[in-house]
Amino acid sequence: MQQQEIHNFLRRYFEANDCELVENTPGYMTVQLTVELDKELMNRPFYWHYLEKVGGIPKPMSLTFITNNQLAPEDLKGETVHFGSPRLHQIFESSKRLAGYIRLYENKLNNKQTPLYPWLGLNLKISYECDRKRDLFVSIGLHLINGKMVKDFHDRLLQVPLTPKIPDYSFTMSSLIKPASGLLRIENYLKSEIEAEDHSWADEARERWDKDLSLLNHFYEDEEEQNDSYETEKLALKEQYEPRINISIINGGLFYLSEQAI
Amino acid sequence: MPVQINFDSSWKDELMHRMENDGPWGNWELFKLAIEVEKHLVIPEFEGLQAPSHLSELTPLPHQLETAKQVIENMHGKAILADEVGLGKTIEAGLILKEYMIRGLVKKVLILVPASLVTQWASELNSKFFIPAVTQRKSYVWDQCDVIVSSIDTAKRNPHRDIIYAQNYDLIIIDEAHKLKNNKTKNYEFVQNLKKKFCLLLTATPIQNRIEEIFNLVSLLKPGHLGSESDFYEKYKKAGRSVQDDEHLKELVNKVMIRNRRADTGIEWTKRHVETIPIEFSPTEKVLYEAINNLRDEDNWVQTSAFSMMTLQREACSSREAVYYTLRNMLQRKENPSQAYQDQILSLISKVEAVKKNSKAEKALELIKKINDKVIIFTEYRATQLYLQWYLKQHGISSVPFRGGFKRGKKDWMRELFQKHAQVLIATEAGGEGINLQFCNHIINFDLPWNPMRLEQRIGRIHRLGQEKDVMIYNFAIKNTVEEHVLKLLYEKIQLFEKVVGELDDILTKLEFGNIEDHLIEIFGQSISEGEMRIKMDNLASMIEFAKGVKEEDSHAAAGNP
Repeated sequence: MQQQEIHNFLRRYFEANDCELVENTPGYMTVQLTVELDKELMNRPFYWHYLEKVGGIPKPMSLTFITNNQLAPEDLKGETVHFGSPRLHQIFESSKRLAGYIRLYENKLNNKQTPLYPWLGLNLKISYECDRKRDLFVSIGLHLINGKMVKDFHDRLLQVPLTPKIPDYSFTMSSLIKPASGLLRIENYLKSEIEAEDHSWADEARERWDKDLSLLNHFYEDEEEQNDSYETEKLALKEQYEPRINISIINGGLFYLSEQAI
Repeated sequence: MPVQINFDSSWKDELMHRMENDGPWGNWELFKLAIEVEKHLVIPEFEGLQAPSHLSELTPLPHQLETAKQVIENMHGKAILADEVGLGKTIEAGLILKEYMIRGLVKKVLILVPASLVTQWASELNSKFFIPAVTQRKSYVWDQCDVIVSSIDTAKRNPHRDIIYAQNYDLIIIDEAHKLKNNKTKNYEFVQNLKKKFCLLLTATPIQNRIEEIFNLVSLLKPGHLGSESDFYEKYKKAGRSVQDDEHLKELVNKVMIRNRRADTGIEWTKRHVETIPIEFSPTEKVLYEAINNLRDEDNWVQTSAFSMMTLQREACSSREAVYYTLRNMLQRKENPSQAYQDQILSLISKVEAVKKNSKAEKALELIKKINDKVIIFTEYRATQLYLQWYLKQHGISSVPFRGGFKRGKKDWMRELFQKHAQVLIATEAGGEGINLQFCNHIINFDLPWNPMRLEQRIGRIHRLGQEKDVMIYNFAIKNTVEEHVLKLLYEKIQLFEKVVGELDDILTKLEFGNIEDHLIEIFGQSISEGEMRIKMDNLASMIEFAKGVKEEDSHAAAGNP
């Protein structure tokens, strides 16, 4: 992520959370936090607790972020933000937490009666783990009436005008597939896709595991009784090498779209 | 073979809940941002390092990056990092830790380091790696924080020990791991029983002469890698071989160990200038030294070990206080001392009392004034340390003491005092390890250790990455004493000072001497005449020369890396 991208990301994050950008120039920005965002980011529960008890006037903090030291004034006090900075990752986490679930409607700009069809959209991360790890980002949409499944759903959605309130003249069609079973369909689909993949990475991890395990067994061979450290080491090897695939959901929700949208 | 696939089900329950309550629903802009973020954070390849792009405060050196990559990709996260002193093992460990954390393979981390380094480790991880490492100060820290830095001496004791065993650590890092070479110690046992999914052992002195030390260290990391204890000894020890001699063993060790050498890093190091400063005894000091020297010929001293004779001689070269301390102990500890014994000691003590000045201290004072900058004085003796502190104070020079026995907080405080307020730091041997003092570039070796590795540790405190000036080393040696002999042999003939430790321990390993210190004691303690001493010294020197020659022939074949 380039510094400029980080700058834009921060601006969009705070704007989406209704924070006022007191200053926003290339190189740095100053943000007046709202009460909600102060609670979200500043980690000062005692202050808020106290304030609510005494009924004082809340004074949320303001933050200055420096995204380019060369462009910011030298005496500017603020947090320098870069791709590895804990603050940025805190905000990353926050954006995921605040937008885990969504419901949107296609915003058709006409005044004809438009039926909107329900879709379940999921953005997922598939992690292939052993002593190493790689991830894959997947976005899948499931038509909750006809069961059609599409990939790259999120990218397609970006082409569609969406709104959180159902527009005038539009009406939603009822789902035939319940979201819970829709989720199950997506899960099963992904699992079968993954199972068909080449898993040489996992076989190799198991080979490493077996090799280290046989060394370990040999090491403790002389011992009369099995001791605790043997069991500990054995467990450690399992945790180190055992291949596993974790599918986690980043976010997702229900999308009501016109017939031609996807 | 099918791979276990886990599907996160918690999301579903929350979705159902929100559908029932008609919300709350997230903001579309934030939803899109979350996806953009995730696309940046996803790591599509098993290979490669992500950490460098997360570290704005640090530009790792090529050998450090290469080491991190090797450890993760080829050693599967279990390795001994054995770079020469000052090449940045901490940085390498930090890179590996960061990489695992970014990839989400490691969350809970236990870092065990010498007490004097606890604060430094934690602050480096925080400032350079943005890893929220916490120093262990309260027992609840163990379960509440993910990344903890502690001293092993604290960790191994209850209640900490039990709490630690109950944690599920993903990565364990142990600094100064050469202290775990003995598998009979409590520390060894403690570490052995820790669950080590990923594990890094950091040491600057990995392979000394003793083959069992390397066996113990490797077995801690990867039990069975060198076979079981019985077949290891059968195979290697009976043959009496050293690690370097056995190709097969070397190869095995290299699978779990990375050793970078200064020469291989391609970094331009500041120079080391070594100056030997010969010093004349004052007449009374000379009398004391000679008196100790003559004891050897006297019958009733035969039962006293050559070792304590040597100690007294060396102490006489350091300070009268050091000699006095030992003499007093000898008197107190001896059961039923004979009258002759007591008289002998008392006569020595009277000679100690006759000494009115310390020639070395005077020289040190003169030198410190001339340098007019920060200076570290190393001495082997606590009594000398105290004396020097008093002596410098008499002459208006501020100094701080430093000892291995200091508690962590005190060490940090002393380092801080030295950096900000005092001109001189006076350290004893144990204090030489585990403290970084790059802001200083003058060392006075008030007396010399006989183990060259210890000397390297001393110099390594200031001659390391981050040192911007040439390093000045002043060696004090009293003329016509054991000290001068040792200096001549070890530090001039073999040019140890300009050499660096990597080559040195190769040389020592080649020698298969066992302990070089034992040899010196033997030479100086058992030789009847000066002539015999000189011959034996020459022998030793030529053996070392020979080993060095052999070493140069197979130069890099004997080097650490695969």
